[in-house]
Amino acid sequence: MHIVIINGSPRVQKHSNTDKIIQSFGKGLQETGSTYELYSLSNRREWDAALDAYLGNEQIIFALPLYVECVPSIMLEFLETLPVERQQPAQISFILHGGFDEGHQLRLCERFLQLLPAKLGCSYGGCLIQGGSFLIRMRDDEKMKAAMDKKMDGYTKMGQSFASHGNFMTPEASKFTGPEKNPWFVHLLFKLFIKRLVRNNFDYFAKQWGCTRPLDDKPYL
Amino acid sequence: MTIVLNTLEDGAVFGQIGTLINGDLEIINTSDMKIAHCMGCNQCWLKTPGVCAIKDDYEEIIKKLVGAENLWLVSDTRFGFVDWHGKRVMDRIVPMLNMYIEFRDGSERHELRYHPLNFCLLYKGEADREFLEEWSRRVASNLAGKSLGVIKMGEGEQCI
Repeated sequence: MHIVIINGSPRVQKHSNTDKIIQSFGKGLQETGSTYELYSLSNRREWDAALDAYLGNEQIIFALPLYVECVPSIMLEFLETLPVERQQPAQISFILHGGFDEGHQLRLCERFLQLLPAKLGCSYGGCLIQGGSFLIRMRDDEKMKAAMDKKMDGYTKMGQSFASHGNFMTPEASKFTGPEKNPWFVHLLFKLFIKRLVRNNFDYFAKQWGCTRPLDDKPYL
Repeated sequence: MTIVLNTLEDGAVFGQIGTLINGDLEIINTSDMKIAHCMGCNQCWLKTPGVCAIKDDYEEIIKKLVGAENLWLVSDTRFGFVDWHGKRVMDRIVPMLNMYIEFRDGSERHELRYHPLNFCLLYKGEADREFLEEWSRRVASNLAGKSLGVIKMGEGEQCI
């Protein structure tokens, strides 16, 4: 199977969490004998080639981060360049991720994605959903490495699964999302301990980025 | 104060806005402005807190939102949702929040950098109204405000 993967993130490829997810997923595809070609919408020079690849192939995957509760605007702009009718049949599947770890935060966007392929004359191949992706970018940090390596291994397994089944309509894809909402005791633990820990981690990252202001700064007051 | 971000290409927001909103309002026609897509660089959260790395006309919008209570988005629609022009000005709202996390409305949310903002959507064309209502609720929740509703152009009564 040959698959066209379009990275719908606006973030430059070098720093794109979506790209890192695609690389891990693509490794799984290749291990199972499939091939893929990748286009990144953050690079305008790839848009024409992405459109040609979209029109000339039968298996398309859009991979995207959640932005303000739905698809990033740059990907919406690209989608508006696509024809609403299709010369040859195609299936569109999605890999959707977000910073927060709760699955329910991604469900509204999933609803949009479920209905989208039909509006482009294509069939729907399912949506692979997982949150908790903010720290992927911090994968090189010793504190985060083990957890992020495990997360990326999960995407490699899902690449193998997609190569076998040809879609994300599988029990393992459904299970991949994890908990829909954090249970009450996580809320309690968050208030008591985790919140401070998370704040310290963000302060630590900011310092590494050369930030000299408090993260809750109010520059326009 | 209500800030209306009119993203319609022709820039005309019609008289309807005046009949829908009481109190101070400012209409900003974004089709006349240079506004890039959010590029997700995270600098407004982790490097220059509250200040977007993209130096374009959106900074003026952020400054106005800091003094506003309500944000209205006027947008055309596509695929049943707001079109990319409308979504673009919403994606750039991230500096109004900060990096820190809390639970709000039972969900993980970023903390507010300033104060709550209520949100209303005025849309043009055929769209999935139920979807837009849920999106509007979620956007408002992110801003710790209320959703003031979803109104199709040409319909709707005075609501604020």
